[in-house]
Amino acid sequence: MTENAATTSPVPERRRFAFDLKAASPFIALAALILLGAVVNPDFLTVSNLTNVVTRSAFIAIIAVGATFVIASGGLDLSVGSMAAFTAGLMILTLNKLGGAETSTLLMAMGVALMVAAACGLFNGLVVTVGKIEPFIVTLGTMGIFRSLVIFLAAGGTITLRDSGMREMYRPLYFGSVMGIPIPVIAILLVAGLGALLLYKTPFGRHVVAVGSNEDVARYSGVPVSRVRLLTYVIQGICVGIAVLIYVPRLGSATPTTGLLWELQAITAVVIGGTALRGGVGRIWGTVAGAVILELVANIMVFSNFVSEYLVGAVQGSIIIIAMLVQRSLQRAR
Amino acid sequence: MKHTMLKSLAIAGLAVGLAGAAHAQEKKNVTIAVSIPAATHGWTGGAVYHAEEAAKRLQQTHPGLKVIVKTSPDGASQANALDDLMAQKIDALVVLPFNSDELTNPVREVKKRGTFITVVDRGLKDASIQDIYVAGNNPEFGRVAGKYFADTLKQGNVVVLRGIPTVIDDERVTNFEKALEGSGVKVIDKQYANWNRDDAFRVMQDYLSKHPKIDAVWASDDDMALGVLEAIRQAKREDIKFVLGGAGMKEMVKRVMDGDKMIPVNVSYPPALVATAMNVTAAHFYGNAPARGTYVLNAELITKDNAKNYYFPDSPF
Amino acid sequence: MSSVLEAREIGKSFGPVEVLRGIPLALQAGEVHAVIGENGAGKSTLMRILSGHLQPSAGSLAMDGQPLVFTGPVDAEKRGIVLVHQEILLAPDLTIAQNLFLGREMRRGLFVDDAAMNRIAAAKMAELGARLDPRMPVRELSIAQRQLVQIARALLAPHRVVIFDEPTATLSGVEAEALFLAIHQLKAKGVAVLYISHRLPEVKAIADRVTVLRDGRHVTTRDMAELDPAGMARLMVGRDMANLYPPRTPAPVAEPVLEARDIAVPGYVETASFALQKGEILGFAGLIGAGRTELFEAIVGLRPHRGEVRLEGRPVAFRDAARSMAAGIVYLSEDRKGKGLLLQQDLRVNLTLAALSRFARSGLVAESQEWAELDKAIAGFDIRARRKEMLAGQLSGGNQQKLLLAKMMLLEPRIVIIDEPTRGIDIGTKEQIYRFIAELAAQGRSIVVISSEMPELIGLCHRVIVMRAGRIAGEVTGDDIAEDPIMFLATGVHEEEVAEMAAGAP
Repeated sequence: MTENAATTSPVPERRRFAFDLKAASPFIALAALILLGAVVNPDFLTVSNLTNVVTRSAFIAIIAVGATFVIASGGLDLSVGSMAAFTAGLMILTLNKLGGAETSTLLMAMGVALMVAAACGLFNGLVVTVGKIEPFIVTLGTMGIFRSLVIFLAAGGTITLRDSGMREMYRPLYFGSVMGIPIPVIAILLVAGLGALLLYKTPFGRHVVAVGSNEDVARYSGVPVSRVRLLTYVIQGICVGIAVLIYVPRLGSATPTTGLLWELQAITAVVIGGTALRGGVGRIWGTVAGAVILELVANIMVFSNFVSEYLVGAVQGSIIIIAMLVQRSLQRAR
Repeated sequence: MKHTMLKSLAIAGLAVGLAGAAHAQEKKNVTIAVSIPAATHGWTGGAVYHAEEAAKRLQQTHPGLKVIVKTSPDGASQANALDDLMAQKIDALVVLPFNSDELTNPVREVKKRGTFITVVDRGLKDASIQDIYVAGNNPEFGRVAGKYFADTLKQGNVVVLRGIPTVIDDERVTNFEKALEGSGVKVIDKQYANWNRDDAFRVMQDYLSKHPKIDAVWASDDDMALGVLEAIRQAKREDIKFVLGGAGMKEMVKRVMDGDKMIPVNVSYPPALVATAMNVTAAHFYGNAPARGTYVLNAELITKDNAKNYYFPDSPF
Repeated sequence: MSSVLEAREIGKSFGPVEVLRGIPLALQAGEVHAVIGENGAGKSTLMRILSGHLQPSAGSLAMDGQPLVFTGPVDAEKRGIVLVHQEILLAPDLTIAQNLFLGREMRRGLFVDDAAMNRIAAAKMAELGARLDPRMPVRELSIAQRQLVQIARALLAPHRVVIFDEPTATLSGVEAEALFLAIHQLKAKGVAVLYISHRLPEVKAIADRVTVLRDGRHVTTRDMAELDPAGMARLMVGRDMANLYPPRTPAPVAEPVLEARDIAVPGYVETASFALQKGEILGFAGLIGAGRTELFEAIVGLRPHRGEVRLEGRPVAFRDAARSMAAGIVYLSEDRKGKGLLLQQDLRVNLTLAALSRFARSGLVAESQEWAELDKAIAGFDIRARRKEMLAGQLSGGNQQKLLLAKMMLLEPRIVIIDEPTRGIDIGTKEQIYRFIAELAAQGRSIVVISSEMPELIGLCHRVIVMRAGRIAGEVTGDDIAEDPIMFLATGVHEEEVAEMAAGAP
């Protein structure tokens, strides 16, 4: 128990511009990794490479923003990877069914994707809250369900966007850029910005943190615990939907391996970003940094000439653990 | 399909009495079980498709023949599936095992019941279990590709995308490199991309940033080749002369047929070999002579001229 | 004769804030030494230094006259100093015996010897007056029983000095009595006991010497014989504490605002009916487990129940706390740390959590307004916080209770239900909370005080309803509100036995 000093004034001052090392540490780790990359191979530090990496991290980053909500409220969603594949599959099938290369067709298919993903999230949320089942089990189940639905839709093969006109029209959503910034990067910034606003500045966001911090306290404070939990899963679904919108134009296809292990990457990004797995803390921008870190580590592996391809996984794992250790020691040093 | 079968058998250099119309009237009750991995990749997807097509056709040709096709998502479930199939009194088992180590013993159990065993693609640890072994030729798959690089490029820089660390991948890559020996073609980088389009896209993007001059890409798989092509297109790089995938995905075979400059050839490794195995197994029961032995479907270079023989528009793969 | 454990001019600062300065304390073998002081006086910090959890910033420690430095709590424990924490630090899913032996399990060969551990655990618990099945999981125990398990666990280690940090805060009279017996046995064995408590009569009864701290400084150390509870209170607060309770107001005229009829809470309350009047302070007395907390949790919608609740004559049925809050009823849980405050979040987040919608401006939380409200609450409720950004868990117990009060008052309730309003709170803060409750009633609000502290029910309430074993046993009003009739109703036992049982309690 901390005691008050005799000198405590009745209304203490607030430190307005305190430097929050905890929040900054994922970015410090990110900077350190970039430095490491530059040492490993000078070609690493080119605009085009770094742009590629950040652009590629878009799917995981956007999904992980949703995961930040779920995890901050004390939940977990293992189904995001399968959900992404399922949504992408349905979206492409919609495009193929409607045919043609009209803008309206594309918009309709995008709407379908967002709705499908939100519905998947809603389903997860309902089973967790109404069924009162551990989220780990629920989403492990839906992970299998969504995954086999994709395989079923693809009849084991690949779901490919057939209309080449549509393909060309849609393609810039991944490959295009506005004022030199790739569109997926803009999407990350938008989603994370909205996520941060929602989590930090709205009553709902406050409730998310409260539920994750201590469900009982939240309940005794009149917080609608079930509704808050439910909504976090819906938000997760919508984020998956947005990620799919920029995933589909990249390769124009969904396969049974689409989104494989994305759930683990998203959770890793969230944790690297400083969000506690037990809930109660959510760091949106840290999560984005975490997603970029993951992609960057894989990139550095390809760029390094001295790591045998057999050992890439080991080195990758070690770098992530070291990055976390550095972060933690930075936080403790305070 | 019958056409493919004929061809395969010819390649294998074995003459087997054909189960044809001549014997179709003879009503003999036979149950063949087919155990294959679930469709988690384009190629396995194709395998499932061909297995089901073959099942339909065989049951039409031979009244009294029952074919049960069972897919499993991993090795352990496949072993369980074998137990279930055994309970149904089967006369023959066609199995494409997930991996040799895990499934050798379960298949041996089936064999002990006197069941006729046909193994496809991945051989068992104990070769005495299998009555028939039908396989694609992985070393050949790598060698044919390597030879094409050596012959076409003469010299230059090549990057390689590997699949999932397995014996299959290893045999392919080792023989690819062996085929390049002595030529001026050099492998400047190789990384695993897990027979996955997204991973291939990522690895290729990084190759393009890392290496200023790449002459050709061996993607070693058509799924990966698609990811590679997209990365090249984005980077607008002109130095890459061609990309070679493999396994004969229909879209890729189509591009070879259409004379796409970036996709001049492909190497076959047909998922239809499951169908071949089923045909041979059926022939064992309905044909004139019992079938035994090893059937190797060679990996062949698919070129613009012969591509139409490898093109199945209805297959998902 | 040299002391077993001695603090020599101990000082402690957290950053720029000095929490302790120049504290001397010498513990003799075979004595019970009490340390008293208000919340924030530095008692807990001193305990943590003596038990190796904190390093002093100034001064030194000595054992048997030899100066030494503890490297940590494990080191201190190895030297025979054990601390019985105020907070419950047990694994809820393990059994009593498993908790007692956690980290020092008895073995027979390769396996743990459950039979022996269960036997010893049952014996140790019985020594503390608790006859419990050692195979019961701790989750199923009451807070008081958990506290006893914690004490038994500490006493299992070899010890020369035992430090109790408010051990009786959650215990009822009978349970506390058993603990005092255990302390006497320790003393007889020559163990030095350091005893921290807010309950001054209990300190008077049990301690040989007493050290008083105020605002992080040493006020005095005296023999117990020289002081009575009033004198101790004076030394702690630094002024006269004759009027702990606000002046009694006459009972309000009957104008029921809340009526409960035949409320039943499965497993806790069989049936209960009562009415709360406008402007009334209604006390609820009873032993732990009588069903008081559960009755009111049911009424505000936190527990499933049967029966009828009327609010100003209209029947209501709340499905959750949000609805009862909207109707003007708030419930402040006895479990401040588990159900009242988010210990890992800062003061602002805690303050506005229940009334958050009032701070929403076009969908966003108006932070500047929250900070302003925090300033108001800190001033209005006299919350002593070192920094405004500090976490609720870093506040002392009394300040946590003030923060919880401030949080619920933001809802501007008409009916306030406070469960154990002063548990674990020092006398100065108690006085503030009592005054505040009286003010609320004077404003025309209705208050329910659930308490196990008899004096506060007697000093504060217009009327006291007593519960026993899930039913309402009776009611005392006006001048009849006194210890004996309440205890009689609560226990159903003859008055003389009651007096005997309550002897240790204040």
